Amino acid sequence: MFDALFRFFFALSPVVFSQGEFRFAASTGSYVAAGAVAVAAALTLYAYRSGHGRTLQRVTLAGIRLAILTIILVCLFRPLLVVKAAVPQQNFLGVLIDDSRSMQIADVNGKPRAAYVKDEFGANTRGVLKALSDRFTVRTFRFSNAPSRTTQESDLTFSGSQSRLGAALSGVRQELAGLPVAGLVMISDGADTADAALGEAILGLKAESLPVFTIGVGQETLSKDIQVGRVVTPKTALKGTTLMVDVVLSQSGYDGQQVTLDVEDEGTLVSTQQVTLPNAGTPATIPVRFTVNEAGPRVLRFKVTPQPGELVTDNNAREALIDVRDRKEKVLYFEGEPRFEYKFIRRAIPDNDNLIVTGLVRTADNKYLRQGVDTPDELVAAFPKTREELFAYRSLIIGSLEAAALTGDQLRMINEFVDRRGGGLLMLGGPRAFAEGGYAGTPLSDVLPVVLDRSKVMQKGTVMRLTVKPTRAGAATAVTQLGANEAASAERWNTLPGVTAVNRVDEVKPGATVLLTGTDETRAERPMLIFQRYGRGKSFAFLPQDSWVWQMHASIPVDDMTHENFWRQLLRWLVEGVPDQVEPTLTTERVEPGEAATLTANVVDPAFVELNDASVTATVTGPDGAVADVPMSWDGEHPGQYTATIPTKALGWYEAKIDATRAGKPVGSAVTHFRAAPGDAEFFDATMHAATLRRIADDTGGRFYRPSDTATLADDLRYTGRGVTTVEEHELWHMPIVLMLLVGLLCGEWGYRRVVGLA
Amino acid sequence: MAVAAAIVAGGLLDLSAVALANVDDDPKAEYDGRFSFLRVRVGQPLGMYRRLPPWAHDFPRADFHFMKILEEITFVKPMIDQGNIMTLDDPDLAMFPIAYLSEPGFWTMTEAEAAGLRNYLKKGGFIIFDDFRTFHNQNLFDQMQHVMPDAVWQPLDLSHPIFHSFFEIKTLDVDSYYGHAQWLGIFEDNDPQKRLIAVANSNHDLGEYWEFSDTGYMPVDLSNDAYKFGVNYVVYGMTH
Repeated sequence: MFDALFRFFFALSPVVFSQGEFRFAASTGSYVAAGAVAVAAALTLYAYRSGHGRTLQRVTLAGIRLAILTIILVCLFRPLLVVKAAVPQQNFLGVLIDDSRSMQIADVNGKPRAAYVKDEFGANTRGVLKALSDRFTVRTFRFSNAPSRTTQESDLTFSGSQSRLGAALSGVRQELAGLPVAGLVMISDGADTADAALGEAILGLKAESLPVFTIGVGQETLSKDIQVGRVVTPKTALKGTTLMVDVVLSQSGYDGQQVTLDVEDEGTLVSTQQVTLPNAGTPATIPVRFTVNEAGPRVLRFKVTPQPGELVTDNNAREALIDVRDRKEKVLYFEGEPRFEYKFIRRAIPDNDNLIVTGLVRTADNKYLRQGVDTPDELVAAFPKTREELFAYRSLIIGSLEAAALTGDQLRMINEFVDRRGGGLLMLGGPRAFAEGGYAGTPLSDVLPVVLDRSKVMQKGTVMRLTVKPTRAGAATAVTQLGANEAASAERWNTLPGVTAVNRVDEVKPGATVLLTGTDETRAERPMLIFQRYGRGKSFAFLPQDSWVWQMHASIPVDDMTHENFWRQLLRWLVEGVPDQVEPTLTTERVEPGEAATLTANVVDPAFVELNDASVTATVTGPDGAVADVPMSWDGEHPGQYTATIPTKALGWYEAKIDATRAGKPVGSAVTHFRAAPGDAEFFDATMHAATLRRIADDTGGRFYRPSDTATLADDLRYTGRGVTTVEEHELWHMPIVLMLLVGLLCGEWGYRRVVGLA
Repeated sequence: MAVAAAIVAGGLLDLSAVALANVDDDPKAEYDGRFSFLRVRVGQPLGMYRRLPPWAHDFPRADFHFMKILEEITFVKPMIDQGNIMTLDDPDLAMFPIAYLSEPGFWTMTEAEAAGLRNYLKKGGFIIFDDFRTFHNQNLFDQMQHVMPDAVWQPLDLSHPIFHSFFEIKTLDVDSYYGHAQWLGIFEDNDPQKRLIAVANSNHDLGEYWEFSDTGYMPVDLSNDAYKFGVNYVVYGMTH
């Protein structure tokens, strides 16, 4: 529309103006005429100096007359637009066609995007491609993850699982290097699924002054669609863990509608719930709860049932990989006095559980009771005195134990246990805990998520009686889920018996999150369960001294699992994500078939000091059973970090077992999984991304078009100034806009005279 | 010797403030987070001894002496300034997960009491039966069968952790004034690998030794041993 109007007024395309150079081609006659115009202007000024009418009216009329004379003067000097135009059929044109799956979405007048592409670019005998072929030697490429030449319509399958715009542009630029190329034309929905930014590709195009003309296919907003936008899951979980996962839903066209959100673990339904969709454009975060009971790499599928009329149903589900570990993880619980809290916390974890709570109870001065130890020597000298000994545990619970019972080095060790080793620390309420236990000012006060103030402690012998309930943040965590659903859980918290606390905490650390609060007898709210990340690990403070009441109280039925579930979840959270001596990470859990996966592993010694001189090997077992040993080398930059690139061939799961040794002695091993499979990213955020395409065009000196505006594309491409060109001169004096201005000004003068009575 | 020394170190026990047992007062502790020695009050007495019903034998001296010793020797924080007596159907029983029942030979129960004890033990409670002769075993067994029909009393040997939870008890070959003592227990799910939910000192009377430990009526060694068993029971009950 804009183009048509522009051409109507200026007789030329905007591209000609943007690419052309403005000049005057004045002749001797022009200067003679200029003198005549100057005389006319002088006479005008003289004539309007006095006479009829008021001063303002005479100034206005003189101004109009001078404007007319100025336009005539400019035209007499022969304004020109000089532009380099491509010589027909002497230049090449690269046409890049998006061949990815998202082009199958039917949002172009009810037809798939691919239908438009085939109609206009399928053959050089029709559509836009014909217009281009009439002027240029066209090279057509299709692209998804990489560009490839296409010579016939049937090459376009629209089945690519990726759209890598940057890779396509760079690839075609290199392919056409050395040829006189007028520019590139990219037809796409603009959904770039590559991890890398487009910037590098655009810089290359800018360096060669190669303009890209982009055509955006599809709608910028889908009229009816539901999308599972994002799912945040932990990468690993201990078998039997109940997870609370945030699922982000967005939609258009289904405001307020109820839909079913299911979670499937390798095809088995593990959670289902009804959710009300948010308003269009406002993503909603839905907490979803489920338990992982099967070990191994598990693909969890979060799925919203497709609704009638949905344009894209492939984005109704998202998958996430969780490595469910079936192994024993040890938590050390150091209790400073025999008490029921200790007994019931240990009892909440059954013997066959993946968690082992190793208990060390100080029953009297220098007298300890050990429970759950693996060897006769374990903890035989009471609390660990070396980092190697302490760091063998994944998490640490400190009960009612005063700070003075630990040496300065042990306190520093605990700090490092969280900060450097990445372990979890939980301090429980009790007469000897927190500030009452003298922890203010110790290395542990830095770790704990609460502010310890030795001047604000509970008076001995006093006790707070509180009822506990989750905060808003706490309600979104698995640890507070005591019922089958949100409502049942809230009801359970409301009916739980009260607990007591003997530690005063008025303030939590900045960055800490209060998960449970307690209301005391004065109706004051007090933090009861607080969490924060500290260094590589995390710490919790649990203020009640007798959560066992949630098990024993007369109001609690015998088969009630509230206490057990609470502690199982809290302790699982405590060990979640705690690293091993060999800790693998993957850039992505999925790679395209044929692509290589980048495997990284951090290797540390038993004291969790990074090792740069270890020998690390990944034994990779492919889906076809093929086994390959891939050496991993220190990356030379990050202490203790080893990397390897693992090629993939077959579709399916790959298992990488990483073994690290040092001086012939084993350091540790770990197993991780990834898969080679086509991605489904194409259908997420599947609208036409005009901003991306416009950016490519603007940054490279091209133009962005919609399918309805492409009539001028072939003409516009003539004026890119690249390739074999000829110089065209376009006279501007006979543009319609000039005549319109002259006629308009003359009419304006006459009209004004009529209005003010000077005609 | 350690126990006796502790008694002496504690200046013996000042029980002057404790009136002669008037069990009709039924002292009942308000739970405040501390451990309290819970003495169970059971059914109508079939007879009285020293003007007390059987379940109250040795109260309050035994209870207070024992709590004082527990506080002196261990890091357990007990209530030492008041007694704590409840029936098995008292809802507050749940707040004190270790209970002591004296003279189970005379024990009778209501349905509500049986249900109360059943829930208490299943949820995690632990009960100590003391002060009864071998011929009273049958009443104990009968009553417990009423509480937990599937429960099986099993003899305990010295290897069980309850005899090593605090003191290293070296022998169960103990002769009390009732005769040769025998230790019996009920395990959770009748599985000896699981926790003890009940322990019974058949033909023994720990409470008697606790009661008179400051008088010289009882040999010091026997009193010491009685305290050792009691301390071990409590530490076991708080850790298993």
